[in-house]
Amino acid sequence: MRKGLFLVVVTLVVGFIFSPCTWGAPKTIKIGINAPITGDIPKVGEGTKYAAQMWLEDIKAAGGLDVGGTKYPVEIVIEDNEAKAESAVTTNLKMITEDEVLVIVGPQSSKQAVPAGDVAENYGTPMISPWSTNPDTTKDRPFVFRGCFLDPFQGPVLANFIKEEFGFTKAAVLYDVASDYPKGLAEYFKEAWEKINGKGSVVAFESFTTKDADFSSQLSKIIRSGAEVLFTPQYYNEVALIVQQAHELGWSNPIVGSDSWGSAETVELCGKNCYGLFFSTHYAAAGAKGKTQEFIERYEKKYGYVPDDVAALTWDSLGIVQAAIQSTGSLTGNIEKDRQSVRDAMAGVKEYEGITGKMTFTEEGDPIKCAVIVRISEKGEFEFYKSVCP
Amino acid sequence: MAENNGGGSVWVRTGQILTAFFSPIPLLGWLSGAVFAIFLEHIIGNSLAVLLGLPKIPVLFGFVIALKEPTLIPGAIAYVSLIFVIPICIIGRLSSPVTNLVAEKLLKLPLFFSVVFHVGILYGVLHFWSDISPYRVLTLKLTLIAVMMTLSLNVINGYMGEFSCSHPGFMALGAYAASVFSLVFFTKDRIFGEPLLSPVLGPFMFPLALIFGGMVAALGAMVIAIPSFRTRGDYLAIISLAFMFIVKSMIENLEVVGGPRGLSSQPNWANLPTVFIWTVLCIWIINNFVRSTLGKALNAVRDDEMAADAMTVNTRRTKMVAFLFAAFWAGVSGGLFAHVLRYVNPSTFGLQKLAEVLAMVYFGGLNSVYGSIVGAVSLSILGEMLRPLEIYKWIFIPLLLILVMIYRPTGLIAFKEFDVRSIVHPRKRDKE
Repeated sequence: MRKGLFLVVVTLVVGFIFSPCTWGAPKTIKIGINAPITGDIPKVGEGTKYAAQMWLEDIKAAGGLDVGGTKYPVEIVIEDNEAKAESAVTTNLKMITEDEVLVIVGPQSSKQAVPAGDVAENYGTPMISPWSTNPDTTKDRPFVFRGCFLDPFQGPVLANFIKEEFGFTKAAVLYDVASDYPKGLAEYFKEAWEKINGKGSVVAFESFTTKDADFSSQLSKIIRSGAEVLFTPQYYNEVALIVQQAHELGWSNPIVGSDSWGSAETVELCGKNCYGLFFSTHYAAAGAKGKTQEFIERYEKKYGYVPDDVAALTWDSLGIVQAAIQSTGSLTGNIEKDRQSVRDAMAGVKEYEGITGKMTFTEEGDPIKCAVIVRISEKGEFEFYKSVCP
Repeated sequence: MAENNGGGSVWVRTGQILTAFFSPIPLLGWLSGAVFAIFLEHIIGNSLAVLLGLPKIPVLFGFVIALKEPTLIPGAIAYVSLIFVIPICIIGRLSSPVTNLVAEKLLKLPLFFSVVFHVGILYGVLHFWSDISPYRVLTLKLTLIAVMMTLSLNVINGYMGEFSCSHPGFMALGAYAASVFSLVFFTKDRIFGEPLLSPVLGPFMFPLALIFGGMVAALGAMVIAIPSFRTRGDYLAIISLAFMFIVKSMIENLEVVGGPRGLSSQPNWANLPTVFIWTVLCIWIINNFVRSTLGKALNAVRDDEMAADAMTVNTRRTKMVAFLFAAFWAGVSGGLFAHVLRYVNPSTFGLQKLAEVLAMVYFGGLNSVYGSIVGAVSLSILGEMLRPLEIYKWIFIPLLLILVMIYRPTGLIAFKEFDVRSIVHPRKRDKE
């Protein structure tokens, strides 16, 4: 019995002496990625994961993240949130309290980013959602940022663009009433359009519900209303159906879309029907230059397809995180203090040169950045048409 | 033991030895073992984790880290057995003479005291277990809410034998009603503005908010209960599925509660004790309900509605009451859910939620309070533990469901009464 006790004591002592062997080396910086890898939108999760892995490769190639002269090893903690709100909250909490991440990138969709942002705010951990457009995500939350422009900016951009480009006065809108993003954007567009062209200039404001596939009644109404342009802020699968059905019903005027069109699938599903149409987005893949082109080529070579906006925005968000960590000058090793200093550095990011444009954060944590108007070319590529800045 | 059965006999013998070893431990014994394990974790958990090469105390029995980094598996297993398995078994067994005596003494008093005593210790165990990490608290809260959800669905799908798909709809109604109640009366927020009553009162009025949520859900259930008099089986399933979609699109079109953007900034009132008390209440009341005359009538309706009618069971009233009752508890669980996440969104209460809760009911077992608890706890904890497997998780969990359906077609623990007296009863020494 005594011998046993003695052995236990010796093991404990030896263990305690050797366990802090790593004290001398700089602590690993952990970055949490909260992505929908399974669930409704796995493609979004995949883009997020791939962009994060590419970023990590760069850091590893440089031998770690250089903060004030010390190279810190970096680790990425990727967690699957199953595209569910409650899972996004639990994964965020797990990454904050268990993995002790310094910064969280994600979740992507607003229905997850809003509740997950609450957790990040309560635990004082900086979080940046690359793709969430809901104003509630960052509102009154100093620790929460986002990587994309907001709908109140995108709506007027499109209204102005159509006015300048075509000089039209009557517009029609077709949107999904049950989905947060199209609905919000449709309303902002209407507001902006009516400001330019006067009341009643949106001659048709038609809606449908998620997973509807037949739009003929709404489209005939729109055609009868005498609208000169159709604005539809829908996702790629619906865009294909709407455009095809509109053309079948005899619509020949332009159709304009928003950043949700910016997926490789849009052209694949829509085909020739979509050639020559315009939409606003975060970046244009075809004809990109410099850093953007480099990113696209690398991604395509590695994963076999042109990255969509989620991957590009995630890449930029990670870039901002990196810049913020580096500009803190030094890390204390105390995770709470470091999170606070990274948050302060992030709020102070000025004119960050990302692949989706220059970014500066407002007080709310939303970036001021330019939107890009893209034209779908005759080859089915997303061509840069013009850039609109706030 | 026969020769040709040699391989199996070792297992049989081990099984016998283990049963003989553990059979004298009453529930109280297991609980005291758990209490000891929790204190052990609080005292030496951190140093043991460091010693075993783990980065931190493993949160969910080591699964989360072990699946991420396979090199940590031995450490995680060692930790779990040193802190939980071995102490619980040994303390449970060693204390069994004392705990049996205490359990016997308690049973001499009214059953109520014994139950409260056990539930109190159980809460203590959960509280101090989850004290280690906020992640444990959140997982526990969501698990308890899943228990309520599953139990209330089991009343309809198990005890009443109808296939109802409307539960996410009831939950949504409860979640929104309770949120609106607490936002309008006790919280300052963007949608409803200044609170009508003093926010200080809020936490005390929270039960009212939940009951209000439950009532609204029950009112919604009336819409289904009436056609359910005329249809059975597949048709009712379709009607209830339609109801779920109606609720979802109704909320999506209601701008007052945020539409598809969802409703956020609910006050943070759903702490662990609150959720625990409501879950215990739910289990207690539903268990009494299904064991009452009404519950037996419900079973009669399930087995043969005509025969039940002939035996003077008022089938209409029985079905109506069961539907509203189940919807009420679904609504309460929805209200708690909304206040735990502090954000609700109509798309949360869609087909995915339905599949989840149906899986919990059928995995655990139909017509059984036990089964619902087992199903909800195991599937929610499993879902959380296997998260690092990403896409493979969705191969593993469905495979498990298929296996359960093959070997136990009505679920793990189906058609078993949840008899509180036999649970808290002291165990007899074997063959004495």
